[in-house]
Amino acid sequence: MSSAVSSSAVKQQDRVSLYNLSDITKTMESGGIRFQLSVPHLNIARGEKIAIIAESGCGKSTLLDMLAFISQPTTSDQFEFYPSALTDPVEVDRYWQNNDQNSISDLRKSHIGYVMQIGGLLPFLTVRENINLSRDVLGLPDDGTAVELAQKLHISSHLKKLPGNLSLGERQRVAICRALAHNPSVVIADEPTASLDPFSADIVLKMFVDLVEELGTTLILASHSWQYVKRFGLRRLSQESRRDSTTRTMFTTIKG
Amino acid sequence: MFLSIPGIFKLALKNYLHDWQSSSGLVLALASILGPMMIVFGIKYGVISGMITNLVEEPRNREITAVYSGRYSEQWFEELGKLPSADFLVPRTRRIAATIDLKSSSAPRILHTELIPTKRRDPLLPKIVIPENSDDWLIVSESAARKLAVNTGDSIDASISRRYRGKLERVHLTLRIAAIAPIHAFERDGAFASVSLLQAVEAYRDGLAVEAFGWEGDQRDIPVNFTGFRLFARSIYDVADLKRWFNEQGIEVSTRFHEISTVQRMNENLTTIYWAIAVIGLVGFSMALGASLWVDIERKRKELSVLRLVGYSTMDITCFPLIQSMLTALLGWVLAVIFFHLVAAIINYLMLSELQEGRQVCYLSIEHYFQSFLLTCGAAFLVTLTAGLRYANIEPAEGLRDR
Repeated sequence: MSSAVSSSAVKQQDRVSLYNLSDITKTMESGGIRFQLSVPHLNIARGEKIAIIAESGCGKSTLLDMLAFISQPTTSDQFEFYPSALTDPVEVDRYWQNNDQNSISDLRKSHIGYVMQIGGLLPFLTVRENINLSRDVLGLPDDGTAVELAQKLHISSHLKKLPGNLSLGERQRVAICRALAHNPSVVIADEPTASLDPFSADIVLKMFVDLVEELGTTLILASHSWQYVKRFGLRRLSQESRRDSTTRTMFTTIKG
Repeated sequence: MFLSIPGIFKLALKNYLHDWQSSSGLVLALASILGPMMIVFGIKYGVISGMITNLVEEPRNREITAVYSGRYSEQWFEELGKLPSADFLVPRTRRIAATIDLKSSSAPRILHTELIPTKRRDPLLPKIVIPENSDDWLIVSESAARKLAVNTGDSIDASISRRYRGKLERVHLTLRIAAIAPIHAFERDGAFASVSLLQAVEAYRDGLAVEAFGWEGDQRDIPVNFTGFRLFARSIYDVADLKRWFNEQGIEVSTRFHEISTVQRMNENLTTIYWAIAVIGLVGFSMALGASLWVDIERKRKELSVLRLVGYSTMDITCFPLIQSMLTALLGWVLAVIFFHLVAAIINYLMLSELQEGRQVCYLSIEHYFQSFLLTCGAAFLVTLTAGLRYANIEPAEGLRDR
C-alpha cells in the first residue's frame, strides 16, 4: 500500500503540466436552448493522450475551442497554459479579459494544432501549401516536414492537388498533417474521423495516434466512440450531462 | 503584433485568383459604376473647358474699342501701353482716310480696301511674323487675297487718291504681300499695314507732302495725334480693369465684358450642378461598392476563420480582405479607364464635325484619373476596413463551424 502511494507520488512529480484549469464555465444559447459547460478542474500533462467521449451537442467542441484559445470562457477561476516545461504558466483568461487578441493568436500559432471534424482546409491552396500554412504563420521554411508527414499518412501523391479534388478521408489526413507540421505542444482533434466511413475512420485514426506518439505530442481527442479509449490507451475525462426542462438548459460537466 | 505581410499577401492573392469568378464580378461591378461617372465628368469637363478655352483663346474677347473717335496724343498711348492689363496697342488714323486701292497683275479689278494698323504680336494675326522697320508691305485679309488672286510674297500695286487744290490726284506705290491674314482676323476686304504707312496715307489725303514716299503737297508737319486705337487686354480677366481706366478718363469703350461674365457665371453654375450630381453619384458609388465588398467578406468568413485558427493575427485577418479589395479597386479602375477611353473616343468622333480642330467634348485631365483612382481606393479601403475590423472583433470560434 505504502509503496503504491510513493510510486504514485513520484509519478505525480514527473507529470509536467500543460493545462491547468479550475472552475471554468461557458454559457451559450442556440435555438432557444441554453448550454452550460462547467469544468470544475482539469489538468492535462505534457505528452498525455486525452479522450473526451460524449454525444454530439453536449459541449465537448466548446471545451476544445477553449483549450485551442479560440473561444473565451464566460467565467474562469484559473486557466493556465504552460508554453514549455521550464517556464511559468500563461494565464490565458487574462489575455481574454484584456482582449489581447495578438498574444492569444501568438500562443495559438506556436502551440496548438487543430483538426476539425470537417473542413478547415483552404480551398485555394494546394495540399502542400495547406499543410505548410501552420509553418508559414510562424515564419518556418518548408523543410520537407510537409512531405514527410504526407508520406506517413499516405497522401504524398496528392501534394500538388487542391483539397476540392480529394476525398473526405484524404482531406482529414491533410488537416492532421497541418495540425502537426509546426511541431505544436498539443494537437486538438474534434471528432476528426466522424465524417468517414467506419473502415477509413479506423485507419486514419490509427495513423494519427501513431504519429502523435512518435512525435511525443500531447493529444486531446473528442469522439463519440468508446472503443478508441482502450485501443489507443487514452485517458478519458469524466463527463456528465443533464437537461433541466424548466429552464430549457443543458448542463454538462467535464473534469479530469 | 507580428504582421506577416508577404505571407498574407500571397494568401489573399491566391484566394483572389482561385475565386476568379466572384473577383471578376466585383471588378466588373466597380467598373460599371465608375465608368459612367467618368463619362459624365469627362463631358462636363470637356464642354466647360472647351468653352473656357474658346473664351480665353478668342482674341476678340479681350479687345477694347472706343465707341467714338477722339484725339489721342503719343503721350496718352505711352501711358496706356504701360498699364499691366494692356497687351497689344496700336494707334489708328481716321477711318475715312484709312483706305487704299489695290491692283494685282493676276486679277482685273481694282479693290478698294480698308487699312488696319498693326505691329508685331498682333493677337488677330497669330503665327504671322510682322515685318519691322519697313513700311512697304501689307497683310491682306483672306477675302481680299481671294479677290486679288495674290499669294504671300507677291508684289502688288497700291494707289491712293485725293482732291488737292481742285484737282484729282493719285499716287502709286508697290507693296509686298507679307502674309495672308486668317479668315477670322478680318472678314471683309482689308489689309493690315504698319502705322507709318497709315499715317502717310492720312497725311497725303489731307494734302500734305510725305517725304518718305516722295509724295508732294503742303509742307506742313504730319500731325502726331490719332483718332483711335486697337487695344487688346492681356487676358479676358483684365478687360474689366482696362474698362475702368477708360471710364475714369471719360472715354466710352465697348468690350465683351458681359459675354465673358455670362460664360463665367454659367461655368460656375454648371460646376455647382455637376458637383451636386457628383456627390450623389459618389455616395451611391461608395454604398454600392461597400455592399459588394461587405457581402464578399461575409462570404469569406470561413476562410478567415481558418486563418485565425492557424494563428494569423487580427492585423493579418484585417489585411486579407483589404488586399483583395485594393486589387478590386485597382482592376476596376483600370477597366473603368479603358471603358471611358472607348466611349469618349466614340463621343468625340460623333461630335467631330461640331468641334474646332483639336477640341474634345469628352475628356479628362491627368489629375482627374489620379483623383478617381484615389477616390476608388479610399472608398474601398474604408468599407473593407470597417467590415474587416468588425469581423476581427468577433470570437474566432464563431464562423468556424456551420452552426
